[in-house]
Amino acid sequence: MSISRVLSVNRGEIAARVVKAAQALGIEAVQAVSLADRESMAAQLADRTVVIGPAPSRLSYLDPKLLVHTALATGCDALHPGYGFLSERAALATLCAEHGITFIGPRPETIAALGDKLEAKALARAAGVPLVPGTDRIADATEAQAAAETLGYPVLMKASAGGGGRGMFIARSASDLAAGFDKASNEAREAFGDGTMYMERYVENARHVEVQVFGDGNGHVLHFGERDCSIQRRYQKVFEESPCAAMPQGLREELHRAALSLVASVKYTNAGTVEFLYDVNRQEIYFIEVNARIQVEHPVSEQVTGFDLIQLQFRVASGEPLRYTQDQIPVRGHAIECRLNAEDPYQDFRPSPGRITRWQPPRGAGVRVDSHCYDGYLVPPFYDSMIGKLIVTAANRAECVERLQAALARTEIDGLTTNLPLLRHIAQQPDFIDNQLNTRWLETTGLPAFSAQQE
Amino acid sequence: MSAGSNIKPQDVEGLIELFKSSNWDEMHVQVGEFELFLSNDPKATGPGRAVAAAPAAAPALTAAAPVAIAAPAASAAVAHGGAATVAIPDGLIAIRAPNLGTFYRAPKPGAPPYVEVGQTISEDTEVCLIEVMKLFAPVAAGVRGVVREVLAKDGQMVEFDAPLMLIEPAK
Repeated sequence: MSISRVLSVNRGEIAARVVKAAQALGIEAVQAVSLADRESMAAQLADRTVVIGPAPSRLSYLDPKLLVHTALATGCDALHPGYGFLSERAALATLCAEHGITFIGPRPETIAALGDKLEAKALARAAGVPLVPGTDRIADATEAQAAAETLGYPVLMKASAGGGGRGMFIARSASDLAAGFDKASNEAREAFGDGTMYMERYVENARHVEVQVFGDGNGHVLHFGERDCSIQRRYQKVFEESPCAAMPQGLREELHRAALSLVASVKYTNAGTVEFLYDVNRQEIYFIEVNARIQVEHPVSEQVTGFDLIQLQFRVASGEPLRYTQDQIPVRGHAIECRLNAEDPYQDFRPSPGRITRWQPPRGAGVRVDSHCYDGYLVPPFYDSMIGKLIVTAANRAECVERLQAALARTEIDGLTTNLPLLRHIAQQPDFIDNQLNTRWLETTGLPAFSAQQE
Repeated sequence: MSAGSNIKPQDVEGLIELFKSSNWDEMHVQVGEFELFLSNDPKATGPGRAVAAAPAAAPALTAAAPVAIAAPAASAAVAHGGAATVAIPDGLIAIRAPNLGTFYRAPKPGAPPYVEVGQTISEDTEVCLIEVMKLFAPVAAGVRGVVREVLAKDGQMVEFDAPLMLIEPAK
């Protein structure tokens, strides 16, 4: 291992996870913390803790210069960004490179290229990865109707210059297009000074699926199976599982091939995730984006493949070749993760920071908890509300769901309000048990049922 | 409190970025007691008491400041606990680090330190420099009194909020 000392610059559970992974490899871990995180789990586990700034992220975790200065001054030869914060900011990776610090993640130019949505789509197209079928500019309603016949209804009309939903509408028929086109185009012209419209296929019944990938930087790329993260609220994932049990094997292989073809084309280095929309009705997949970092939900992939992906990040960053071939990474069993948040599901998910008086996560076979919390830990009000991840693993999805229900029932957290009641509710829903889910299920079915239960 | 005391290192950094991206020869900013003079002329001495002058090649606050010393891996001790947990003796007040960085007692190598133990200082007295990635920012005492002890080591990293010096406040 060419890395001897790493600066961990994130917080919460991932910082604790990074420190432990480093130490398991014989790497010393220095933890950068804000003043609010001096007592954190990562700070306690680390070989050294450095207070880099006050509580606000802008003055601590979001300042690349502070982080690199700290790495240099503490003799670190590597830096692990975790997820969120600066993990996908090319500027941090560049600054590390300029000062001889190994950034544990993709190259800066890869982060920059994939972080630009248009460029990422162009790269995907060039690599033969399917995108949501759509059109170029459409002049009027008649042209729109002709295009919709080809794409198939329902379709989504969008403003070229758009954003925030303005100038956007769903059309389920030719008459919808006739009725809505001029209004949307005018709305776009008023909002953006440009009334240009284009069309995409609207995926009514979509799942969010994503492929965990790794690259060695020389074009050798591997996948660690896919994850199904369809249970979302406001684009925030709540449950994640691997594999995507709803996907037939043929399509799964196509999904993996598409993901690998994209990351191989950019000679991707280190861990990444290629996200897709899975059109369940048409049995097609469409590329969404690449997340050039390790993700929150990486543990489900670890559970079904047996790899420690954070340790693998260190190995790849240190220049070790990816010694495996794809057939040495079989997916076995099923894993489900759910995110424990300090938020009140009865009060519009208002954050509820505070002191944990009792932290009793479940234990037992097939139960894993990735968390930075402990009895007496104060969840600070300055950051993300996630307090931990419960991950259960079993031989198949049905057993995994049962194990998850039991584990959630045994979870006890006192002192602050959490989303535990909602997690328990979801785990008991017939749609969840039968895997009849899509990306809108939680907001249209799961949450209304949860609210109704309270009345 | 004067407006000058609200100027943060990030603000200075922003002004330097602005200067770098401009085609100006000089920039002179004065906010309350804060004054910044930047010039592309290495011989420029500023319009008065310049905080720092920028050399032509790299307009950064380095001309009047010492060179940053990054501790090599071998010599950087790994130890538990930050300096911020040091106990402050009764009757003394600590001047604390406004940000993490490298601590310098003198404006440049070989120069006499900003302050010596036993010296009387006022709120505005500059007591040290803290450097982050070649950006040097002077630290004002913020308290009137006598310097009793310098806790931070010259050229070493100090953490955010770490006590730098102990001051016996004026009655």
